[in-house]
Amino acid sequence: MPNKFNKDQIQKIFLSGLGFIALIYCYFTFFLGPLNSSRETMTQTINETQEKTASSKTELKKTANLEVQAKEATSRYEALKATTQEGAPIAWFPPKMRNFFDGHGIEKAGVKLDSSSAFKEAELSDWMKDTWSIELPAADYEELGKAIADLENSEPLLAVQKISIHAAPDDPQFQQVDLTAQTILFTQ
Amino acid sequence: MALQLNLLHEEISEHRQRQRDPLKLGIYALVAFGAILFLWYGWNAYQTIQIRSQLQDVQAEWAKVEPKVIAAQKRAEELHKIIDSTKVLDGIIDSRFYWAPFLAQLAGCVSPDIQLISLEGTSADDGSSVNVSLEGLSAATEPRHAAEQFRQKLAEQLAKKYSSVKVEFRNLEDSDTTVNLAGAPTATARFLVNVTFDTKASTPETAASTATKTEAQK
Repeated sequence: MPNKFNKDQIQKIFLSGLGFIALIYCYFTFFLGPLNSSRETMTQTINETQEKTASSKTELKKTANLEVQAKEATSRYEALKATTQEGAPIAWFPPKMRNFFDGHGIEKAGVKLDSSSAFKEAELSDWMKDTWSIELPAADYEELGKAIADLENSEPLLAVQKISIHAAPDDPQFQQVDLTAQTILFTQ
Repeated sequence: MALQLNLLHEEISEHRQRQRDPLKLGIYALVAFGAILFLWYGWNAYQTIQIRSQLQDVQAEWAKVEPKVIAAQKRAEELHKIIDSTKVLDGIIDSRFYWAPFLAQLAGCVSPDIQLISLEGTSADDGSSVNVSLEGLSAATEPRHAAEQFRQKLAEQLAKKYSSVKVEFRNLEDSDTTVNLAGAPTATARFLVNVTFDTKASTPETAASTATKTEAQK
């Protein structure tokens, strides 16, 4: 081996060194770097997906438990929904009330809708309240009491808010009765 | 001594130079280094392929579970809404004021010398309090006393069931009209009574104090 390198050899060594450094740089930047980066990304994705899968199993169990716990509430809710008949309330509620009072010996009940509004509570966004005026031109006090008791017991979503009873001028045995009742109905 | 001459020393020297050529040695080192780098890259690529396969398995598992999770979340929301709605509706149902028991109590307080002409009753929106206005006629030897007895009896009876009961005369005046009671003309008094109470159940102490107040007024 020569002790001294000539100019040509030094040039060659220098260029080779530069080429080597460039090669190493390209290797790490364009080959190994993206590969490792891709591997890290995939590992992270695997961890995240596994966490999601594990928490989803917990979610499914919670929902199954909630289904069991809410059975009573669900059946009660369905029962309350069933008190609302199909169609517009103005179509079925007045005949229902007329038939009801007829069944208690109070005839010619007049029912009209006073107002209709939605609830402010977010929990009752699917429900609305209707206020009705029910006129009973001739009702015996005892029959009226029984009818109101039956009405309040059989219609949980109906509340009588006002009651007005006046002696009938023509027949003291009977009274003229005006009821203001509020019903809670499920919006179809 | 024989003279030893190496006539091939130049060739041997050239051969040694060729063998120890730095360029050749450098190329050998470079090739070896390149091979190491290639093997290292190959090993990393193999690991990456394995991880990719694992990722595909995990993603396939998630793809199976995801629709069920979405459906479960939706169902849980529905159930929470149902539970909350039912709670609020039950609260509204429980807070209703039942008029039938009140009408029954009122009927029990009306004696034969009292006739009610009209009743106007209103309950608060939340059913917590009730206001009733009663107009009537009392017919007795002392019609005012009969009206007062009716008022006190009504207060006592209502205090057994409700709280903060107030039964007060808004008006009580003798009437010019007389009525036939058991065949005898009887004086009458017209009265207007205002009844207010809270629908909250009364405690035994409240009912007792109302009874005591009524006794004192007698």
